[in-house]
Order: sequence, then C-alpha cells, then structure tokens
Amino acid sequence: MEINIKNVSMTYPNGKQALKDLTLDLSAPSLIGLLGPNGAGKSTLMKLFVSALLPTSGTICVDGRPLDKSERALKSQLGYLPQDFGLFDELTVTQFLDYMAVLKGLRYPKTAVREVIKAVNLTEKRKSRIRALSGGQRQRVGIAQALLGDPQLLIFDEPTVGLDPEERIHFRNLFSQTAQKRLVLLSTHIIEDVQSVCDRLIVIDRGMILFTGTPAQLIRSASGHVGVFLEHNAAQEHGLHITARVNTGNGVRCRVVADKLPDYVTPEEPTLEDAYLYLLSKEVRQ
Amino acid sequence: MIKIFLYECKRLLLNKFFFGILFVLLFYGRQVLSGTTVLGVSHTAPFSAWSFGDYLSRMLPLLWIGTLFFLTFFTSAKARRASVLTDAVRTCPRRYAMARCAAAFSGTLLLSLVCLAEAAVFYGSYFGWYEWGQLIIPVLVTLLPALIFALGSGWLLGRIRPWLIYVWMIVPFLCMALPLPSVLGIWNGSFFTEYPLTVGSLDPAFSIPAPVIAAQCVLLICGVLLLMFTGKKIHN
Repeated sequence: MEINIKNVSMTYPNGKQALKDLTLDLSAPSLIGLLGPNGAGKSTLMKLFVSALLPTSGTICVDGRPLDKSERALKSQLGYLPQDFGLFDELTVTQFLDYMAVLKGLRYPKTAVREVIKAVNLTEKRKSRIRALSGGQRQRVGIAQALLGDPQLLIFDEPTVGLDPEERIHFRNLFSQTAQKRLVLLSTHIIEDVQSVCDRLIVIDRGMILFTGTPAQLIRSASGHVGVFLEHNAAQEHGLHITARVNTGNGVRCRVVADKLPDYVTPEEPTLEDAYLYLLSKEVRQ
Repeated sequence: MIKIFLYECKRLLLNKFFFGILFVLLFYGRQVLSGTTVLGVSHTAPFSAWSFGDYLSRMLPLLWIGTLFFLTFFTSAKARRASVLTDAVRTCPRRYAMARCAAAFSGTLLLSLVCLAEAAVFYGSYFGWYEWGQLIIPVLVTLLPALIFALGSGWLLGRIRPWLIYVWMIVPFLCMALPLPSVLGIWNGSFFTEYPLTVGSLDPAFSIPAPVIAAQCVLLICGVLLLMFTGKKIHN
C-alpha cells in the first residue's frame, strides 16, 4: 500500500488553517510515528486519510488512485482508531466487535472477534457491557475494532491514552508486530510510544512538516545542542530551553536544548525527546 | 445488514427508556379509553372508527415522542462519537442508515401495536366487540403518515443538530393547541370529533374527505423522501 499526499492544505469553515501545503509519501511496510504538540494538525491529517474530511486543496492518492475515487477501496483495508470516539454502551465487548466486523464485511466475524479480543487482553471482559468498562478497557476495545479483519492500513490517533504503563508496552509491541507487513501510522505526543518501535518519524507543527526521517536522523540533528548544568541563579536559564529539571543533593540539575550551548553547560548525548524539543524550539525561534 | 438491524433493535428495545415509554403509553391509553373513548365521539359508538380514530390521535403525540427518542440513539452527541468508527468502514452509508432506520421503525411499530392491542383488549372486555378489521383504515391514515414523517424529519433534524430532535418533539402538542386547517384535522383530533357531525346523519359510516387523504399522503411521501436521504454523507 502506498499513500501520496501532494500539496494538501486544510482550512476549517471557521477559518482555522490546520494544514499548510503538506507533501508526503508513505509506503508499506512501515510503522510511522506522527509527532507534534497539541493542535499541530495531526488529527486533521488522520481525518483526511480516512475521508472524514476533504482537503481544501491538494490531492491524496492511495495506490495511485485519488482518495475521493477510491474511498471504499481504502476503507476496506483500513483500521482506524480516532483520538475521540464513542462505543455502544448497551452492547457487550463481543457484540460491539461483532457489530463492527459485520460493518467491515468480514467473512468470518466470530473468529476475527475472538482473535482481536485476545490480542488486546480483553478475554475476561468479553461478555461485559461496554458501559461497565474502565477508560483503559474502552480504549482497548477501540484498538480491537481497528485491528479487526487484519487491515493493510492502520491509523492510530493517540492510541495509548488512558492505558497503564504495562499495557502501553504491550500495545507498542503489538503495533510493531503488526507493521511488519503493513502500513501503520501512529499519531502521538508521547515520545516513548514512538521511540522504540517506529522506523520513520514525521514531526508536524502548526500544520507544517518540520521533519521526516528516521529516529536516528532526528537524534543526530540535535547532537551538540543538548546539555546539562547545575543551576545557581535564574539568569543562567536565559536563552535556553529547559527540557527537564531535577532536584539533586547539589542543587537543581537542568537539562537544556539550545542552538549554542553556553560554557557552563556540559554537552550530553541527545535522546529522541531532546531532539524533538530542540526541533520545536528551533521552529518557535524562527 | 440483518445482523446490524438486530443489534440496533437490541440497543433500542432492551433499555429503560423503551420500558418507560411503554408504561406511560399503556397508562395514558387506559385513561383515554376508559375516560373518553368509552363514551364514543360525535354520537358514534365507542368502537366506531371515529371513536377509535379519536383515541389514536390522542395517542399520536406519545408515539411521535417515542419515535423521535429512538432516533436520539443515532443522532445524539454520544452516538456521533461512535459514528467516527462506523464511518471508517466500507459498508455503504445508505444501507447502514436504512438498517438503523428499520430498527427505529420497528420500535415505533411495536409501540403502535401496544396501543392497538390495548384498545382491542378494551373493546373485547367492555363490549365483546372483535371486528378489528374495520379499524385498519383509521390506523393507516392516522399513524402511518405521521410516524414515517416523524422518522424522516427527525433523522434529518438530528443530523443537523442533535437538540433539534427534542424541539421537534413538541410539534404534536402545538398541533393540539393551534387552530389547524380542517385538512390537518387528524393531527389535533378535530377531524374525528367534528367531521362526523357535518355528515348529517347519526352514527355515520367512516369516510375521509379527499383533501385530508391528500394531506396525509403528502406527509407520507415527504417522510419517505427524507428517509431516502438518511445515508447521505455530510463532509467537513
């Protein structure tokens, strides 16, 4: 599967421009992390992919065909978990997934439902009504419905919100396994979620792409721009972007990103989070 | 789609609301039958089509509300949040909408049948009267156009703004209060109480003037046309 986005812009009826002249090529197999702060345009981009919105200008092609002419074909291969979604509280987990399996036109819905329930660790809750589930369990039902039918394109918008740390690790691994043969797009603002599993990152802010490449490339771009220092007075922070502040026995240890590190800052190896924050802070300065 | 229809029926019918409205309908129906219908309307028998039509027009506002309440299961803010999942599947939106609409119609039909069954039991137990076939025309003329129109218009309004459905629920009460033209007399019951008096005979045979039938047909057609547009996708 291949998705090509060319010069796509999206302006909402209220005048807010969510995406500005985006051009991107995505192809399977890949697990792509879409990073960006809140309001960056990630969810809008996801909605364009699933035809929930129409772009104001530009084209989106799926396997060479314009999306508006291949919407049904795309949806037959799509698993989508939006950031904000509702479930039918009156149904049980199994019934809801069976409902979605029927809508997806699956040939063997019972088997498919059983498999995804197992994949998201909801076997014990399969007969529980959805209204009786916790937030994290509801999120898992959302992930399960996206996985139904083994779709070729999976789009997850903030999938790990509400999950406990153990579950988050479980799902990261699940997404990684799933992406071995498919195109998986993972939108998040949690760096940890993409750090270990994504082979490609797209950083987006204010509707524009700031970076596209591998996590290693992003980390390299911040090399020499990350450091630490022990804070003695507030003036030391001037011109620096503080990314972490830790109280130690010797004082407050600050981790910073900056274009040029002052002499009192000891350079450190950047992490993906440092690199991401450096990229965003650079964008703000520009 | 049969499975979706059955799941939607389960959602609509196996809940507190349905049993609540069922109870209210039965209670109100009993009050109308034993308080008003038992006396007969416009010098006709209690089991005449005129008296029965009057009973139905009194039950219509509750059935209208019940129908619109069923639609809130598909158009409420909560339902819209679920629709982001169901919109991302390959099923034809129109077929899906029709399956849901059929479930809402089934709920409406069930409520209507309960009203009719209550009347049948009342006529049987009070008067030993069982010729229900004579009452089919008042049922079709009074309930079918109104409730199909409620489904079609309610669905459209709910898709525009969920709260409009609740505003739409007061329409039959307004019809009861407002002086409607005689062609819409079925909506406030005046047709069944006033028209027999104009026929010029005691206990006249049931008949409906052409303009009244035409008005009901227009409503029915409008309702069907609106239902046909239920699956149309609204972008951005």
